[in-house]
Amino acid sequence: MADRPDAGELLEAVLEFLAAEVLPNAADQRQKFRTLVAMNALGIARRELESDEETLSADELRDLAARIRGGDIPDDALRLLKQHVAAKLRVANPEYLRLYE
Amino acid sequence: MQLLAGGASKEAWAVDAGGERVLVRRAAGGVIHQATLPLEQEFEVLRAAEEAGVKVPHPVAYLGELGGREAFAMELVDGETIGRRIVRDPPPGLDVQLAEELAKIHAIPPERLPFLTGADVLARFEDELDSVGEPHPAIEYGLAWLRERAPEPLPSVVLHGDFRLGNVVVSERGLVALLDWEFAHLGDPTEDVAWPIVRAWRFGRDDLRLGGIGEVEPYLERYVEQTGRKIAVEDLLWWEVLGNLKWAVGSLTQSRRHLNGLERSVELAVLGRLAAEKEYELLHLIEAADG
Repeated sequence: MADRPDAGELLEAVLEFLAAEVLPNAADQRQKFRTLVAMNALGIARRELESDEETLSADELRDLAARIRGGDIPDDALRLLKQHVAAKLRVANPEYLRLYE
Repeated sequence: MQLLAGGASKEAWAVDAGGERVLVRRAAGGVIHQATLPLEQEFEVLRAAEEAGVKVPHPVAYLGELGGREAFAMELVDGETIGRRIVRDPPPGLDVQLAEELAKIHAIPPERLPFLTGADVLARFEDELDSVGEPHPAIEYGLAWLRERAPEPLPSVVLHGDFRLGNVVVSERGLVALLDWEFAHLGDPTEDVAWPIVRAWRFGRDDLRLGGIGEVEPYLERYVEQTGRKIAVEDLLWWEVLGNLKWAVGSLTQSRRHLNGLERSVELAVLGRLAAEKEYELLHLIEAADG
């Protein structure tokens, strides 16, 4: 699809709408919180679209999970898993990773 | 009637009952963990806790089914429950007050609550992870690490099961009441002792390991003083790793409540992606311990 706005730009438009028009008019704390959660969800989707992270494939993840469950843990499992989860977090919540710097 | 911003798995309604304000707690769709108590049993746990002198909202009545879902009424307690707000300015002494309440909970006679069960925690989370049907090798790694280092369990006691900021009502004078007894079960007391130390329950105040409000030592010392149980700071690590694993699996199962249509909610949906935070923390703790 070459037409604009592309998927990322559409998500951005909805994010801006939520931030400018819904959030300031939230009826109560509960709605405000849910609006922030919704904005967070759109942020994840946008980062996922733009991400060029090299992550483990679903098959690789299944194999690794099964190996570990079976007690055959690769020597470099911890290092590999930290990289894998850090890559997931750069999409899901990049701020969180800063806690470990 | 007014719907309050209650927990993620229960509705909470403020109701005017003949001039008295009570809180009606009603089941929502689905549960976080498979071992969640039905509300009738949760109500009984609340009564037992009150009998044991634990600070809880006074249990008023079990209401049976309201509109097809179980509910009970309890006292509506004034105070703050939002973790992020409590850690900003915690009342002095909250750390030892938490320890004192926990000691009282762990003294509830198990025979008072014969429906409570205890299970092998690792087998339970393995089952719950399998129910999600998505590969999570980091959680598998955590399970394997915990299996290899499983401590000799302390004698089983009645556990709150979700003892942390967020489930504690706090005023400027200190701890007012403990809420959310739906995960009560039997088990090693260290499970409850270590749960509020898990990073997710520090609400951004990461420097204060006890729930973002204090250091671990005064809390643990007070607990040991009150119970005579010999739990040392280093005994908490295994349970802290387990706590992160539990919350990682809990986040995945919560997101499934949305995905399988039990309860459509963007709040639940997002948790599926935030499970990675707890996966990272458990790997970090393991790396630091083995390093």
